[in-house]
Amino acid sequence: MEQILKFENVSKSYPNGVHALKNVSFNVKEGEFISVIGPSGSGKSTILRSINRLIPISGGSVCLDGVSVSDQKGRKLRELRRKVGMIFQNYNLVYSLSVLQNVLHGCLGYMNGIRGVCGMYSEDDKKKALALLEELGMEQFAYNRASDLSGGQKQRVGIARAIMQEPKLLLCDEPIASLDPSSAKTIMDLLRDMTSKRNIACIVNLHQLDVAVKYSTRIIGLSKGEIVFDGVPSELTDEMIERIYGTSRENLMIGASANE
Amino acid sequence: MNKRIPVGVSGQKKMYTAFIIVAVILFVLTTLYTNFNPMTLIENGDAFVSFITEDFLPPALPKSSRIPGVLSSVLVTLALAFSSTTFAAIFAFFTSLFGSEKVSPFPKLAKIVRGFATFLRNIPALVWAFILFSSLGIGTGVGFAALFITSYAFMVRAFVETIEDVSQDCVESLEAVGASFPQRVIQAILPSCLNGFLSWFLYCIEVNIRASTIVGMVGGGGVGLTLFTYIKGFQYDVALSIILLIAAMVIIVDRITGRLRKEIAK
Amino acid sequence: MEQTIVQNTAKQTDNNAVSKKEKKIPVGCRQKNKFIPCFMAGTVLLTVISLMYLEIDWIKLASRVPEIGKVFAELAHFDFSNMDLIFSSMLETISIAVLSLLYSLILGVVFGMIAARNILRIKWLSVLTQSLFTFLRAVPTPVWVLLMLVCLGMGPEAGVAGLCVHTTAFFTKTFAQSFESIPDETLEALEATGTSRISIFVNAVLPAAFSQIAAWTGMRLETNFSECAVLGMVGAGGVGFVISRNLQSYEYGTAGLAIVLVFAVAYCIERLFVAIKKKIAQ
Repeated sequence: MEQILKFENVSKSYPNGVHALKNVSFNVKEGEFISVIGPSGSGKSTILRSINRLIPISGGSVCLDGVSVSDQKGRKLRELRRKVGMIFQNYNLVYSLSVLQNVLHGCLGYMNGIRGVCGMYSEDDKKKALALLEELGMEQFAYNRASDLSGGQKQRVGIARAIMQEPKLLLCDEPIASLDPSSAKTIMDLLRDMTSKRNIACIVNLHQLDVAVKYSTRIIGLSKGEIVFDGVPSELTDEMIERIYGTSRENLMIGASANE
Repeated sequence: MNKRIPVGVSGQKKMYTAFIIVAVILFVLTTLYTNFNPMTLIENGDAFVSFITEDFLPPALPKSSRIPGVLSSVLVTLALAFSSTTFAAIFAFFTSLFGSEKVSPFPKLAKIVRGFATFLRNIPALVWAFILFSSLGIGTGVGFAALFITSYAFMVRAFVETIEDVSQDCVESLEAVGASFPQRVIQAILPSCLNGFLSWFLYCIEVNIRASTIVGMVGGGGVGLTLFTYIKGFQYDVALSIILLIAAMVIIVDRITGRLRKEIAK
Repeated sequence: MEQTIVQNTAKQTDNNAVSKKEKKIPVGCRQKNKFIPCFMAGTVLLTVISLMYLEIDWIKLASRVPEIGKVFAELAHFDFSNMDLIFSSMLETISIAVLSLLYSLILGVVFGMIAARNILRIKWLSVLTQSLFTFLRAVPTPVWVLLMLVCLGMGPEAGVAGLCVHTTAFFTKTFAQSFESIPDETLEALEATGTSRISIFVNAVLPAAFSQIAAWTGMRLETNFSECAVLGMVGAGGVGFVISRNLQSYEYGTAGLAIVLVFAVAYCIERLFVAIKKKIAQ
C-alpha cells in the first residue's frame, strides 16, 4: 500500500508558550481509517491542522504524498491542500449559500482566475456535486439554504464538500461532537463507506472511545502532545486508556460497544 | 451589633456601589472645576421663557424667494451624507479584509490596519473638517472628505468585527479546500457577511445625516450652513422652522433605514 | 442521426461542447432575498445622482491634495509653549462631557420612567414624552448649544445645557426600552402584593435594568466627549475652540498638539470601556 502521509519528529509550540506537539512521528497508508483520541488540549486539533498547514509547525517535517508541507507557499500550498479534504466540528459551511454551492466549494482549489472567484462552476462539476448529494441522501435539499438544515444534514454537506475535492486524505476534526447519537452514527457510517469506496485515507479526531474502537483500523492515542499509543483497536487495553486519559477507565464515560 | 443581612446578588451590589461612588466623585470634581451651578439655569428661567416665547415662537418661514434655496440645501446635506457613506463603505470593505489576523493573507499587517482606523475614528468629523478646510479650502468637497474619513474608519472596525464573528469558520474551511484569497472573499466572506455589512452601512447613514448637518455649519454647505446663517443673523423664528425641517429630515431617514434593515434581515 | 451522436457523446462527461447545449444547472438557493440586489443597485444609483447634484470640483480638490501633506507635516511640529492652555481647555471639555452625562443620566431615568409604557401606565403622557424626545434627538447637538449660547452667554452652562438636551433625549429612549423589556408578569406579581408604582420602579425595574443603563452610559461618554470636543468649533469654549482658532491663525503646532490630545483621550475612553465590557461579559 502506498504511503500518503509521513510525520517526522513534528513539534509545535504556540506563541503563548504552550507545547501542543512534542516530537510526533507516524505514517499513514492508503485506505487507513485512523482515530486520534486523547483528552482536550492533548494536541489532536493541532495534528490535523498541521497536515494541511492551517497551522504552521515549529519543528520536524510533514510529508504529504512525498512533498514536504512546510516548504510550500501560495499556489503550491493550495495544490497540496486540494489533496486533503477536511471536515469540521461546526461544519463551517457558508450558511447564506445553497447546499449545492457549498458542495461546489470543494472544487475551488482546482479553479483559477475569474471563474473560480465568481463561482462559475462547470456543468460536469455540478453534475458530480448533485450525484454526491444523492449518494448522501441529500438531493432534495440541494437548493435549500445551508442555514435551514439540521446538524446531521449540515455535516453531510461538509462530507460532500470534502469528497468533491477528490482528496487522497480526509481529516475530520471531531465530526460528531455537536450531533445527536443517531445522526452521529449516520455520519460515521457515511465517512467509513465513502472513504473505503474511494480508497481515501481518513484521520478522525474523536472524543468517543467506543466509536473509535468500532470504526477505525488503527488508533493513535495522544497525551500532552505525545503519542502514547499507536495500534489496532484490539490492542487498546485498559492500561493504555489510563495512560492516554490519565485516569482509570471507570472514571470515563464510554459507550456500551467498547465494553464488549 | 448585628451585621446587616445583604439581600442582593453579591457581585451586583458591588458594581452598583462602585458605579455610584465613581459617579458622585466625578460629579463633585467636574462641578468644582467648571463652577457649573444648575441654579443659574433656573435663575435664568425668565430669559429662557422670554427667548422661547418672543424670539423663537412662532416659527416663521424664510422669505419666499429663499425657500427653494433652503430646500436645495437640505438635498445637499442628504446627498453629502449618502454619497460619502457609500464610498466609505466600499473602501472600508476592501480595507477590512486585511484587518483581521484570521482572515487576512498578511496577518502581520492586520494590527497596522486596525491601528490606522482607530486613529482616524477617534478624531471627530468636525476636527477633520477643520484640518481639511485649512488645506483644501471651504466647500462641499471638503465636507464630503471629512464625512468619508470618519465613516470609513468606523466601518472598518465594524466590518472587521462582523467578519471575525461570522465568517472565520467558513474561511478556514475554504482555506482547507485550497481556495485562493479572492475566492475566499467572494465565496465565503461576502455571502455570509453581506447582511451585517449592509446593516452597519444603514447605521452609518443615520449617523452621517446628523454629522453632515454639523459639518455644513462650519463651511461644508447644506442645511447646516443655512441654519447657522439665520442664527448668526438673529432670525431665530426662521431658524426654528429650519430646525424643524432638520428634525423632520432626520426622523424620516431613520424611519426609512429602519424599514430597510428589516427587509434586509428577511 | 445528429441526435444519436449527441447522445453518444453526452456519455463522455468531459465533452464541453455538448454540456453547453444542455440546460445549465442552477446552483443558487431556491428562496432568495430579492430585496438585497435591488437595495444595492438603488444605493449605487442614488450615490451617482447625489454626486452629480453636489457638483464637487474634483480636479480642483485633487490639485490641492499635496497641501494636506504639508498641513499634516506642520501639525506634527508640536508647539509645547501653550501647553497649559491646551490642558486647561481639555479638562474643561472633559468636565463638561462628564457633567452633562451625569445630569442626563438622572433626567433620563426620570423621563425614561415616564416614557416607558409599563411603569406609570399613563398612555398619553408616555406618547407625548416619546414624541417630544424624538424631536429633540433628531436635532444635532451643536444646534442646541448654539441656542443655549444665545440664552445663557459664553460659559460651561451653555455647553452642559446644550449637551444635556441631546443626551437626555437619547437616554430617555434607550432607558424606556430597557424598562419595557421587563416582563409584565413580574410587574403584575409585585403589584399584586400592593406595592406602589414608584416603589416597584425603584426596587424591581431599576435594578433589573442597571447593567443596561451602565452599558449605555459608557457608550454615551464616548459620543459626548467627541461632541464636546467639537462644540468649541461652533462658538462654545473648550478644546475645540483652541483647535479651530489655532488652525485659522495658522498656528499648526498648537493645533496639532491639541488634536493629538483629543485623540489620546478618546482612545483611552474607548479602551476603558472595551475592558469594562469584557469584565462584565465574563
